[in-house]
Amino acid sequence: MRLAAALLLVAACGGGDDRGPVAFTDTGGTLEVPGCGYSVTTRVGAEPPRLATAYVGEDPTPRLVHLGIVGDPKTSVVAQWRTVDETTTATTLRYGVGANLAESALTETVTGIQWAYAATGSDLPRMHQVHLCGLEPGTSYSYQVGSPGSFSPIYTFTTAPDIVAHPDAEVLYAFVGDSRGGYDVWGQIVAQYQARMPDLILYSGDAVTIGIVQEEWDLFLARGEPLFAQVPVVMAHGNHEVNAVNFYSQFAMPGDQENFGFDYGFGHITVANDTPSDSGALTGSTVEFLRSDFEASKTARWKLLMHHQPMWSASNHGSNLTLQATWGPVVDQYAIDLVINGHEHEVEITKPMRGGAVQASNADGTVYAVIGGAGAPLYANGNEFWTEYSEKTNGASIIRVRRDQLVLDAFRLDGSAIPMSFSKTKP
Amino acid sequence: MTVRAIAFAIVCCSAVGAYAQDDASASAEFRAALELAAANDPGAIDAFERLGARRPITRWTDDAWSEAARLAELGDDYARARRALEQVIALGGEDRLAQRARSTLSRLTAMTGNGAWDAVAKEHERLADAVFGGDDPRAELAQLEALVGANPRYPRANAMRRVIAIGWEQEGDGERALRWYRDAAAAGTAEPGRYADLELVRALIRAGLLDDAERRLADLGAIASVDRDGLAAVRGQLAIARQRSWVRRGLWALMLALVIGAGLALRREVGSWRGAGRRIVRPPSEAVFLIPIGAILIVVAYMGNPLIAHAVRTITLGGVAIAWISGVLLEATRARRGSVGLARMAVHGLIGVVAVASLAYLAVDAEHLLDFLRETWRGGPSVR
Ligand SMILES: [Fe+2]
Ligand SMILES: [Fe+2]
Repeated sequence: MRLAAALLLVAACGGGDDRGPVAFTDTGGTLEVPGCGYSVTTRVGAEPPRLATAYVGEDPTPRLVHLGIVGDPKTSVVAQWRTVDETTTATTLRYGVGANLAESALTETVTGIQWAYAATGSDLPRMHQVHLCGLEPGTSYSYQVGSPGSFSPIYTFTTAPDIVAHPDAEVLYAFVGDSRGGYDVWGQIVAQYQARMPDLILYSGDAVTIGIVQEEWDLFLARGEPLFAQVPVVMAHGNHEVNAVNFYSQFAMPGDQENFGFDYGFGHITVANDTPSDSGALTGSTVEFLRSDFEASKTARWKLLMHHQPMWSASNHGSNLTLQATWGPVVDQYAIDLVINGHEHEVEITKPMRGGAVQASNADGTVYAVIGGAGAPLYANGNEFWTEYSEKTNGASIIRVRRDQLVLDAFRLDGSAIPMSFSKTKP
Repeated sequence: MTVRAIAFAIVCCSAVGAYAQDDASASAEFRAALELAAANDPGAIDAFERLGARRPITRWTDDAWSEAARLAELGDDYARARRALEQVIALGGEDRLAQRARSTLSRLTAMTGNGAWDAVAKEHERLADAVFGGDDPRAELAQLEALVGANPRYPRANAMRRVIAIGWEQEGDGERALRWYRDAAAAGTAEPGRYADLELVRALIRAGLLDDAERRLADLGAIASVDRDGLAAVRGQLAIARQRSWVRRGLWALMLALVIGAGLALRREVGSWRGAGRRIVRPPSEAVFLIPIGAILIVVAYMGNPLIAHAVRTITLGGVAIAWISGVLLEATRARRGSVGLARMAVHGLIGVVAVASLAYLAVDAEHLLDFLRETWRGGPSVR
């Protein structure tokens, strides 16, 4: 049984405990996830994470199902959801190996963890998480979430490929940001993405107008659900998320959910928060983090950095000079291939840059891409000496990663291709 | 038996060896084709197709066809892209690459009506690039209008209509844009979500036709297929637009009242309209002092972010005008009464502050910068 360890969770929480929610405390806390080798930490504003019980509330219908990653995406995934009643503490996932299986084929059952958090304009939302570890790489699984008697539709996810066994592995990252306030545009982008079948979603922040308002998160997640329930999403923190407990509660991500790195296919993705609650961290500990994560992933075939505010932009806010001065040299030193941002509501891509100057070829520099067209009111695009292409448009992108090739293709809401393809090969 | 087993093993091993050899050379060939693609060499597709067609099949065969399809689609050669995708599917794999090929094929088939609209789709791509990326896309917009007129049954005709609408709106031809938003809404009644309708309402709001927008919203509210969340969001936008329009009108009225009030006060202090006119054309010391500072401010603003520069210019020019009027009035008061009392000075100063604040709001609003300002306020400034 490959999931023996994870299933310890089932044994640990037992089936007999049918207690409902306990009195709300907003201290946050940490809980070891058995069998996964990591723990889940909630922030101040949220309850400590607790093991599921058997308690089922008035309407335990699961909703806003979305996947995340904490451990190795080759062998693990996290399913997350809420229920209509927000009081159900039963948290169950059923799954089976294979795509699009029938309910009867979902023979494995795992229970998970849950906690409530404080949010503006809402009752206490309650997150449910099930961590699946010990999965097979490059394998499709069918699953559904909920509690006995009330399960979600069946979705399929696929784990990241094993690149040693499959040197021809190709992975697609959906990369986009800035949907805030424009959720019908976001919904149309989600539909475009579904047809393109990405393996991973990289979202560069500003999903909502103000991170403490739950209502907006629900719109964002509801629109994203057809995609998010099948493809794990990794978020960078944007200035509009305002370091809200909602943000950190809703997205299972590696490390401290702000600054972390992970491998997916032939790419290593470093994610950083460029609006930390302690602004001094930006030029201090965050730079140290970048240095150490880049150092640890030095041998990665392709190196990407995702954060929110661009170091190079010719749009409304312009280049973030603080980041350019403090993060830029580290990006140069470790020859990051592609830096991906949002914040500017348009699309733009730079020429290869190094030391603040344009370089002759992609081999000599880092390319910076802004794809901020997921629905927020559009900004004017501009042209500066570093601009390769820019366009004021709603759109999104696909980053295609192979052993010898890194490609970014962008498309508009009408499905037409944006002529800003970035393509880089390595011998 | 043993001999046969050994023979079998030898055959197997040599087959594996041959496979590994094929695989290594295919891998090298695949990489060479990728390099051509990265260099935008038009021969890249041929190279991928050659590798795809080569036998025996290697682990790179499906990848080669899949890359050929990607490049063909990027080059708007949909027939070639579909053929390459069919090759991936024909290999019979069930992995991610094969699933994706099926999905891409059905997307391309839907987009081009299985080939019937290949030429129109190609033209659509070319013109959309010109509309969104070109400097003066009016000629291309007219071509798009002709294209959609000639091909109303093209599967993406409505996407094309929305591109035309966006294009004319960006070119400042609001009326022509609204016509296309209306056409798209009328043609898109069968589309799930009725996004073209919501887009029309948004365009009406942007054009300041709030009553039209309100009527349209009321109609849409009764239609079940309209995206509910989108509808609620547009309603919110309309409410904000209404609020802002009231504030705008109120502030304009206030400014007008202040100018009239200043005129009347000046006349009272000077004694005649003729005298007031003579005084107002003579710059007071405040204005003389402010004009060079204002000029520098405007130049600096235009060197920085041009988007904000218009607003800075308006606020600076308006501020100089306010200082001018205020200075003239104070001078006149001093000339008549000998000095200006503290209370009078306080009221005068307060009115000045109100005038400058109203002016700043109106300038920011006129440049559609209110939301941007709010975001910067919330998110903290990012230095350019
Ligand atoms: Fe944004
Ligand atoms: Fe932002």
